[in-house]
Amino acid sequence: MQEKIAIQIDHISKTYKGSTQAALDDISLEIPSRARFGLLGPNGAGKTTSINILCGLLNYNKGSISIKGMKLEKKYKKIRRMIGLVPQDIALYDTLTARENLRFIGEMYGLKGKELKNRIEEYLEMVGLAHTGHKQIRNYSGGMKKRINLVAGILHQPEILILDEPTAGVDVQSRNMILQFLHEMNEKGTTIIYTSHYLEEAEGLCSSIAIIDYGKVIIQGETKEIIGSKKEYTNLESVFLHLTGRKLRD
Amino acid sequence: MRKLGTSIIKEIIILIRDKAGLAIIFIMPMILIFVMALIQDSTFRKMDETSLSVLFIDEDCDSVGLAIAQGLVRSEMIVLEKTYKGKILDRETLIRLVTEGKFQIGIIVPPDATEKLKIKAEYLIDKAFEDEEFPVAESKINPSTIILYFDPVIKQSFRETMRISLGKLTYGIESKMVFDLFSQKVSELLELESKLLYDPSGILRLEERSAGNKHTEIIPNSVQHNVPAWAVFAMFFILIPLTGNIIKERQSGSMLRIRLMPGSYWITILAKILVYLLISMIQFTLMLMVGIFILPLFGLPLLDLGKHFFALFVMVVATGLAATGYGLALGAIANTHEQAASFGSVSVIILAALGGIWVPVFAMPEMMQKFSLVSPLNWGLEGFYAIFLRGSGLIDILPWAGLLTAFCMISMAVAFYFLRLKKN
Ligand SMILES: Nc1ncnc2c1ncn2[C@@H]1O[C@H](COP(=O)(O)OP(=O)(O)O)[C@@H](O)[C@H]1O
Ligand SMILES: [Mg+2]
Repeated sequence: MQEKIAIQIDHISKTYKGSTQAALDDISLEIPSRARFGLLGPNGAGKTTSINILCGLLNYNKGSISIKGMKLEKKYKKIRRMIGLVPQDIALYDTLTARENLRFIGEMYGLKGKELKNRIEEYLEMVGLAHTGHKQIRNYSGGMKKRINLVAGILHQPEILILDEPTAGVDVQSRNMILQFLHEMNEKGTTIIYTSHYLEEAEGLCSSIAIIDYGKVIIQGETKEIIGSKKEYTNLESVFLHLTGRKLRD
Repeated sequence: MRKLGTSIIKEIIILIRDKAGLAIIFIMPMILIFVMALIQDSTFRKMDETSLSVLFIDEDCDSVGLAIAQGLVRSEMIVLEKTYKGKILDRETLIRLVTEGKFQIGIIVPPDATEKLKIKAEYLIDKAFEDEEFPVAESKINPSTIILYFDPVIKQSFRETMRISLGKLTYGIESKMVFDLFSQKVSELLELESKLLYDPSGILRLEERSAGNKHTEIIPNSVQHNVPAWAVFAMFFILIPLTGNIIKERQSGSMLRIRLMPGSYWITILAKILVYLLISMIQFTLMLMVGIFILPLFGLPLLDLGKHFFALFVMVVATGLAATGYGLALGAIANTHEQAASFGSVSVIILAALGGIWVPVFAMPEMMQKFSLVSPLNWGLEGFYAIFLRGSGLIDILPWAGLLTAFCMISMAVAFYFLRLKKN
């Protein structure tokens, strides 16, 4: 059963309690299977809100979401096994070592023994942290934390990997390593959904994108098609500039 | 089960690496036990200033009973209760009330007190005047016994004070009686030289009994107050590392990740409860060790654990549960660790003061005594008192253990409510 659409979001709106402004205002997205999908927009656009809703971590006011043809609320137990989330903030225990963190997460996902151990070592190797895996997370640099955070989200080998600003505030080396890693995951069949406010970076990585601003979708489609659709679009940066009349800088 | 095991190991590693948390859990209470054991005397000196209700049965209804009653009342720190709930006290009720800790002291003046005193005084006088025939056989001259019942919880130093003042009173009665008889005799046998023989052991002897069920020989002391008191206090202080743990987990987003892992959320919470319950039990055991092995090295008495170890275990678990529940609730409600830690520690200190951890409840002003019952720390302390000092078993401590468990349940309900609420 190979669904063509990995994620279908229909007319989702969300207003946080105590807030008068909608964080998401009638968002609809279609994310193809095996895509490298970029959810792009400036800070405060609603990227994190969208992702948390998508993962079932946040309630929403209107609309519906289905993942691989299953309604999110109805099949949540099944769905959350398929999803891997790499949150924007480092969701790790900072007094545990990298290996201890990963072992805890792996075992909570039902992995065990040699299989888990091998997988941890394999991924640590891939993100270049095998030699520092015995150190407590609080001693890691920002980039190292981001890389371990990434591994924590993929340890159970999800079909759909959702990453919230995995490259924000990261040194060039870590960034390249992370992007390289995402390419590899995607080639092995994982659907990648990633948010960023770096349009340039997204242009290189993403097969399709959606740009949101003030909780609304401005444009979505395949990256190449969007850039090729008008003469004055030279890159995603210029697309954003033309559609909103302002430069994406924060 | 596997997930629970993993979560428990995770919590233990995190706790072991939390040096500040460990210091608060284990070192602070030990210091408190030492310090409080040292200054306990001044605490009890203060107690003399407040008035104390003393149960009093005068079976003598003659000069001795009267004199003791007047003498005690004159000291102004003592109020004599001759009735309880409108009924004249009898011995059984008196012993029961003291045993249950409702009153700290009971005094019984036996029926023959004055009579015996007279006989002895006459004997002494007669002997002094070397009368030909002795009206009283020497064997009959037993000192009469005034019986004192002490709540075992009461401090040694206070008991000492009480005994000395009663001793002085009886001494005074005795001297007066002898003097009366003497002057009577003197007026009878004018011009006769004599020397008054004085029996230094006194005619009235005070016999002291500890009013405990079966467990009568236990001698209460500062160690038996301070060790359980500060152990309970310390158990509630696990809220500092516990709230830190919960709030950090939430702030770091680890809690979000755990929510995403199938069936992990409740296991994680359960693991926390189990680990912190275990910690509180280790704490308690350590504090007992201090009382048994270390305090005696400083000349303080040995801690007596009573003999109902299962009851003790139940009390420790109940207190640990209450403390863990409280920490969990605070961790769920507070937004930052600073909030939780400052509110938490201040509230525990206040509850400790109310609950008789710093100054035992019976030494508090009467109005405050009523408030002590609202403090879960008081429930814990009363339960341990019952086991250590009154030799109580499971049945007697069940009310306290029940209250603590109920407190735990309510706290956890509050915690779960707020944890859910924090979802969006
Ligand atoms: N917990 C919250 N409570 C209230 N408002 C929030 C909360 N989280 C985010 N917002 C608001 O919702 C909007 C979208 O935020 P977010 O999804 O975090 O943006 P992005 O991830 O794109 O930077 C912002 O205006 C933000 O202020
Ligand atoms: Mg964000």
